[in-house]
Amino acid sequence: MPDDSVNTESTPLRYSVKGKRMRFFDAQGVDELVAICMGLAQEMWVMKERQAALEAVAAEKGVVLPEDVEGHTFTGDQRAALDAEKQGFIDRIFFTLREEAESLAAEPDEEPPAPSLP
Amino acid sequence: MTESIDHDLKVSHTKDESSRQNFVQGMRAYVLNDLSGHMKTVWDRKVEPAFEKTNGRTPADGPEIHKTFKPETIFKFYSSMRCNTQEMVWRSVMPAVELEVNDLSRRAQVLSQAGDKAEGTVSTDPNFHVPRYTSELDVHMMPGNYHEERIDYDVTQGAVFDNGLAVFSFGLLGDRMEDITDSVSTFFQTRYPDEQPKKILDLGCTLGHSTLPWKARYPDAEVHGVDVGGPCVRYAHARAQSYGVTAHFHQMDAEHTDFEDESFDVVYSCMFLHEVPLKNIKGVFKEAHRLLKPGGVMLHYELPPNSMTSPYDGFYLDWDSYYNKEPFYKAFRDTDAKAEIEEAGFEKDSFFEHVAPSRNLYGHDVLMDAAKQAGAQNDSRVGRFGDGVMWYFFGARK
Repeated sequence: MPDDSVNTESTPLRYSVKGKRMRFFDAQGVDELVAICMGLAQEMWVMKERQAALEAVAAEKGVVLPEDVEGHTFTGDQRAALDAEKQGFIDRIFFTLREEAESLAAEPDEEPPAPSLP
Repeated sequence: MTESIDHDLKVSHTKDESSRQNFVQGMRAYVLNDLSGHMKTVWDRKVEPAFEKTNGRTPADGPEIHKTFKPETIFKFYSSMRCNTQEMVWRSVMPAVELEVNDLSRRAQVLSQAGDKAEGTVSTDPNFHVPRYTSELDVHMMPGNYHEERIDYDVTQGAVFDNGLAVFSFGLLGDRMEDITDSVSTFFQTRYPDEQPKKILDLGCTLGHSTLPWKARYPDAEVHGVDVGGPCVRYAHARAQSYGVTAHFHQMDAEHTDFEDESFDVVYSCMFLHEVPLKNIKGVFKEAHRLLKPGGVMLHYELPPNSMTSPYDGFYLDWDSYYNKEPFYKAFRDTDAKAEIEEAGFEKDSFFEHVAPSRNLYGHDVLMDAAKQAGAQNDSRVGRFGDGVMWYFFGARK
C-alpha cells in the first residue's frame, strides 16, 4: 500500500512554459502588458465573484452591509492574512515578468522548431 | 471550472481558484467566439479587399492569409490574448494540483489495487524513452507536458491535463469530457453495424477519456490505451477504475508498441496525430497496420485537413502550429492522409472520412442522422473549438 507519510512533503511545479516565448507586437514590452492586463482582469473578476457571494450571504443574514463595511477595522490577524494574500495577488498579475527567467531555467536542449513563418 | 471531473482523483479548488478558472473559461469563449469573429470581419471587410485591389486576386492559401494579416492590430491582440489565455488555463488549476501531488499519487495507487468496480491494469517502464518530439516541448503550453515526473507513482501531469482540459473545453466536451470519442464511436457503430470489435487500442490515450467510450459501445471488447506519459497512463487507469470501467493502460510509444502482430480489430487515436512529426505519423500508420487483424479498421479523430477547409479556415486552424507549441500540426494538416495510409499497406481505396456532429451539442438524433448519410461535410465549424463544433475523423481498413 502507498506510504501516507509522503503527503506532507511539498512538490513544487514549474508554472512557466519552456522554450521560446511568442511575441506579436513590434514595440518592446507590449506583449507583457497584454499579459498583465489579462491577469488584472482575472483578479478583478475573482473579487467581483467574492463580493457577490459576500453580499448574498450578508443579505441572507439580514446584515446592512454598507454601514458595517464602512465602519469595519481589520484585526491584526486579519491584516496579516490579507498582506500575505496580497503578495500572491501581485505575483499572479505580474507573472509574465518572472516568466522569462523561469523558462530559461527549464531550457530544453533542442526544442522542435515551429514551421517557418510565411 | 472543473465540475465535469467527478471521479476519485478530483482535487479541491478554493473559491478564488474557481473564480480564476471561471474567468479563463470566459476569456476563452470571448477569444474563440467573439474576438475571432471580429478578426474575420476585419479580414473580410478590410484586409482581403485591400489585398485583392493590390494583387488582382484573393490570397491563395492559409499561409498567404497569415502573412497578409500578421501586421494587423486585431491579429496581434487575438494572438497575444489566445496565448495568454492558454497559459492561464494551466496556471488556474496548477496550485490546487500542486497541493495534492502526493495525495493524488496515494489515491491513484489505492484505486489501482481496488478491483471491486473494475479490473483494469496499468504498466509503466522505468527505462522508457519518451520521444524527443514530446520530451523537448511543453505541448500546447502545458508546463511539465504529459510526461514529467517528480515522485514515485506520479500522476501529477495527468491531473494538470484533466483539470486544465475541463477549463479549456468550457463545457464543449460534455459529460466526463468524453464527447469526441463518444460521438465518433457512436457514429462508427451506427455507420458500420457489421463491425463487432473484440479488441480495441487507443493510441496517445492521455487521460483515457478517448479510451473508455469504446467500452461503452462494445462492452464485450478488451480495450487498451497507450501513452508515452507515465503520469498519464497511471492517471487514466485510476480514473477508469474510479468510473468502474475495465480498461488496460500501457506506457508505450504508439510507433513501437509491444503488442503482437494482428492482435486488434480497431486501432484508434483522438487528437493525437497532430502532435506527432510526419515521419513518425508514417511509423504510427505502419504500426497500426502491423497490429490490426486482416479486415481490421484504423481510425483517427483529428483536425480537418487543409484540402477540406477554406483558405481562411486553414489559416485559422493552423494558428496553433506557429504559436501554441504544437509545431507538427500544420505539416499534418497539409498531408494527404489517404496516400500515407495506402503507403503503410492499408487496402487501396478503403480510406474513409466523416464528420460526426457533437452528441453533447446537437443531441443523439442529429448524430444518428449524420451517421446514415455519406461523406464528410465541408463546414467551418469542423474541428474548430467554439460554438457548434463538429468532429472530423478518417480511417482505413487492413
